Amino acid sequence: MLVYTMRRVLGAIPVLILASVLTFVMIDVSGDPLADVRMAQPPPSEEVLQQAEARLYLDRSMPERYWLWMTGIGGNGDIGLLQGEFGPSTQGPQYDIGTAIAERLWTTLRLVGAAMVFALGLAIVTGVISALRQYSKLDYTLTFIGFLALALPTFWFAGIMQAAGVKFNQLVGDQVFATIGDGRFRAQGEPLWDQFLNAFAHMALPTIVLMLISFASWSRYQRTSMLEVMNSDYVRLARAKGLRNHTVIRRHALRTALIPLTTVVAIGVAGVIDGAILTEVVFQWRGLGDFFITAVDNNDSFALMGWLLLSGVMVILANLVADLLYAVLDPRIRYE
Amino acid sequence: MSENGMFGSAHREPAKKAKNSADRTQLQTVLIRFSRHRPAMISLVLLALIALFAFVGPFFWTWDHTVYREIPSNQPPSGAHPLGTSAAGHDVLGQLMRGAQQTLKVAFTVSLLSTAVGALWGATAGYYGGRVDALMMRIVDIFLIVPLLVAAAAIAGNSGAGASWAAIALIISIFSWATIARVVRGVVLSLREQEFVEAARASGASAPWIIIRHLLPNAAGPIIVAATLLVAVAILAEAGMSFLGLGIQLPDISLGQMIGAARTAVSTRPWLFYPPGVLLVLICLTINFIGDGLRDALDPRQTRVRR
Amino acid sequence: MFKRRKTLALAAAAASAVLVASGCSGDGGGGGEGGPKEVTWVINSLPGAWQATSLAGGSVYVVQMLSGVLPYTGQWQPDATYEYDMDVLAEEPTLVNDDPDEGPFEWSITLADDAVWSDGEPMTGEDLRVSWMLGTSPEEGYCADCDPRASTSFDKVDNVQVDGKTATFQLKEGLADPEWMGLFDAHSQAGGFLPAHLAEENGWDVDDPDELGEYYAWLHAERPDWSGGPFIITEGDLENEVVKEPNPNYFGEAPALDKVTMLFNTDEGTFVNAFVNGEIDGANPADYSEDVITQVQDLPNAELTIAEGATWEHVDLNLKNEQLQDVELRRAIFTAIDRDDIANRNFGGGYPDYELKNNHVFAADSPYYVDHFEGESQGTGDLDEARSILEEAGYEGFESGETLSLDGDEIGPFRLRSTDSTVRNTSVQLIQAQLAEIGITANIEMTDDLGGMLAASEYDIVQYGWSGSPYFTGNADQFWHSESGSNYGGYSNEEVDDLAQQSVNAPDLDTAADLSNQAMEILVPDAYVLPIMAEPNYFFANTDRLVNVQDNLQSSYRATYNIGEWDVAS
Repeated sequence: MLVYTMRRVLGAIPVLILASVLTFVMIDVSGDPLADVRMAQPPPSEEVLQQAEARLYLDRSMPERYWLWMTGIGGNGDIGLLQGEFGPSTQGPQYDIGTAIAERLWTTLRLVGAAMVFALGLAIVTGVISALRQYSKLDYTLTFIGFLALALPTFWFAGIMQAAGVKFNQLVGDQVFATIGDGRFRAQGEPLWDQFLNAFAHMALPTIVLMLISFASWSRYQRTSMLEVMNSDYVRLARAKGLRNHTVIRRHALRTALIPLTTVVAIGVAGVIDGAILTEVVFQWRGLGDFFITAVDNNDSFALMGWLLLSGVMVILANLVADLLYAVLDPRIRYE
Repeated sequence: MSENGMFGSAHREPAKKAKNSADRTQLQTVLIRFSRHRPAMISLVLLALIALFAFVGPFFWTWDHTVYREIPSNQPPSGAHPLGTSAAGHDVLGQLMRGAQQTLKVAFTVSLLSTAVGALWGATAGYYGGRVDALMMRIVDIFLIVPLLVAAAAIAGNSGAGASWAAIALIISIFSWATIARVVRGVVLSLREQEFVEAARASGASAPWIIIRHLLPNAAGPIIVAATLLVAVAILAEAGMSFLGLGIQLPDISLGQMIGAARTAVSTRPWLFYPPGVLLVLICLTINFIGDGLRDALDPRQTRVRR
Repeated sequence: MFKRRKTLALAAAAASAVLVASGCSGDGGGGGEGGPKEVTWVINSLPGAWQATSLAGGSVYVVQMLSGVLPYTGQWQPDATYEYDMDVLAEEPTLVNDDPDEGPFEWSITLADDAVWSDGEPMTGEDLRVSWMLGTSPEEGYCADCDPRASTSFDKVDNVQVDGKTATFQLKEGLADPEWMGLFDAHSQAGGFLPAHLAEENGWDVDDPDELGEYYAWLHAERPDWSGGPFIITEGDLENEVVKEPNPNYFGEAPALDKVTMLFNTDEGTFVNAFVNGEIDGANPADYSEDVITQVQDLPNAELTIAEGATWEHVDLNLKNEQLQDVELRRAIFTAIDRDDIANRNFGGGYPDYELKNNHVFAADSPYYVDHFEGESQGTGDLDEARSILEEAGYEGFESGETLSLDGDEIGPFRLRSTDSTVRNTSVQLIQAQLAEIGITANIEMTDDLGGMLAASEYDIVQYGWSGSPYFTGNADQFWHSESGSNYGGYSNEEVDDLAQQSVNAPDLDTAADLSNQAMEILVPDAYVLPIMAEPNYFFANTDRLVNVQDNLQSSYRATYNIGEWDVAS
């Protein structure tokens, strides 16, 4: 399995390179990063514009720039992935892409981590209940809730949650929920309990929004695979042997039924950075989703490449983990 | 046939026989099963009505989705404009029909296209395994890595004409087939070790035959779940793209774009906010229920005998 | 501000269990007797840098973030009058010579004796000299690798003499600057002036271009822990918020507030909820939003004002398109466009008092305002007039449903372009419908790369916005001079070129205004640009708490222009 893992990691390198080329070309053709600056009133001097072009390496051709981004050879020392530099940002010389990504990754993970854990737990529980009580009122209700969650546009639902949070606050006459920001500068130096309350107030609503989206689809997968397993011969056999229903479900059925879910969850976790974009915008969190939007707005190609690299590595790792988990959970699958 | 395979052979055996001898009976069984699934049947009727509204409605309604100078600004619902008007001078009912139409077109194109490509791709990779699998799945990885929004931003930025419904559908498809491929491959990986596949291989069936005739039908459950979820995902992806200004662009319109534009109008101009929102949620809901019913109908293993 | 009384708290784990926490700590309430006076204000976008001089930092959001921190020499007031800041200045700046023929154009500024930076270091003429050098383009040779966004008026200066608190400025030979008083005021490139002594403290020699360049970079990259105004930034970053507290060494009247939090928020859809929830006390958003305006107006504790903002929308024709080189066709197109319809449908709901823009440079409340569209058919939507213009010029097929042609050649179809905002969407759709009535097909193509599209002249008809300011002398030159990089449609008229150049170099504002108005008088009949109206800007504040807060649409600082005078009602 170690050999397999190594091979997969090595195989990921050309994938990342191809993906980065694809993205680089797409971003590059999407517009001139200095276009807005040229429209300023009064306009900046010609010399300033040329200097800005040189700083962003816009005076080089597209293939040259890609090569620079990768190696940094022939650059000003602020570029070259292999040298640990992400390149200059259109958002100014004072904007360091690497630092920004690191900081924002932490913000996003904080938001997404909680949401994923809750979503997964809830999905397994409801999926199993739905499967065991198939076609019962409970199953229909859970199914309906799940489908409804799958039918809500994120930004629309987020807006409703904000309004609901405000209403709740008015009802209890206290500010339990906050609707914007992560509150990082609030409650600093206050007692731990207050810091916790502050963090909770800011995190609760976006977490619910993010959670509900993943929860719904995961719970459907869980229900499906649980149903399949419950109808399989070996579960029947186990029952026939006289094992208690509870034991059968926990020991035999659930374990097998979790296998398909692992793939979906592993891929899903990598995708949540993507998925958090809308949530971060509506709740004004400065995470990676917001980083992405800002970079797109600014035609900031090197920042987008940095973002892509991070999300790409996460996707590849998640897929690898999914495959390995598959082998661990399902003894019939072997990687030679 | 094994006694302890992951999926029991007891069910499959008669079903396969039926399929080979009399396909009509098989189809009838599926239809009967589906028609017994009440939420799915209700949803199907609802969805048909929505589609009728979206595609046939415009022929019977005075206004289309564009601005007319003779339409007054910001009118609440009235006889002349049953769903009111926008500030610019749109008839909201006319917009709603066109919006639903474009949304449905995008969603179903995405679902069909990416399910077809993804399922075939994933099944092929899973069936062959080894180097073929590795290569094919690395290509899938590329599409899982490049984010949908980068492509959307690049294309929307370059030309207004690029943001037609077909272009949007294509962009979303290009970046969603990979997910399906992965799911299908996962299922096929465990299916291919099973006896019925080995039996087919031993009897000299070709690889494409085995994939299409044996592997895909047996993976129908997960494929249908994924495909139905994808319809909803495509609708929501388009809505999200519209919210960020990367979706279908005016003067054309989609439900997502209407919701995005009316996001702040909940309490001020509710006639702009609720109709597209409710319609979009309704479409997603019905599609999910239909998928649910289809899966139950297609997959005999789903019908659990009550004990 | 974020108000949390802490008598009730929710446990996170289940998101449902309500626990009662004991204890009431101090920061609750705010505005109550004795409590700290705290205000949270929204800035409508992320500031790009810590100073506003550079390309990346050159936005109104950076300027607003720095409100109460940068000292400046003067500012236009909400009523469009100019006021010098007499806390900072010892006396009004004096114009020594305003006639370039008699010798260099010259003026001097003297700072107040008690004016000091937050570290106690006095403000001197040297601060002004260094600020000037920091504002110049690198080819002037003062500041290497600096990228000032708008160095035009700084580059005109030839030399600066410093004598203690006084700095004397001389322009290059033959140049004049009617906006000389604005070099370090609230509307200038930096939004005020910057300290000189910090360069020395950090070991940089300001007279060495490379070292001054490093100082420039440092100013933009580091959160200022210094101030020359009523507030000083104590906490924050460029992505979430900054927190300001009173500057203990401020030489003017001490501010009434104890703490101002400036929250960066890019999504106007969140304003109403956040306001109702007490998370924000007000905002001066950049964009018009009818729904937000209507909702805030309905709130009992909110005050909302709305008026003409700085950005004005206009429709341009591309003269590089051969067909559009015919002035009669252009006049007919502009005549068919109904400006009032466009303005009314866009802004009538939230701002029924809108006025059409009839002067490209001056707002209606400006003393220099002249109506250049009086008696003009352009922009009226008078289809009969448009058709008779076309008929006289020999065009055919100008009825609705027909196709306009000249000598058998079809006119159009034209590319009608703009960016994808609500206002512009509505507008281009109306224009499309209006032009269809005179037989012209216009195909709408939206773009999100406005600058690139304009620079490449990839349009036939385009709607976008320019922003106006009380300082106007360069506008005509930038918009319509045949060699200007911003004259995207390729307009060329020698008389206009001449007038525009003179306006830039006029000795005073009155002369410059007169020249600008003359240029517009020639421009209008040429039917190159059709101004529609200035986009209304709104502002809202919590009247239960805030007093002395009002919008200033003359200034980039907007409502924060008098942040030192803000107070919380008790």
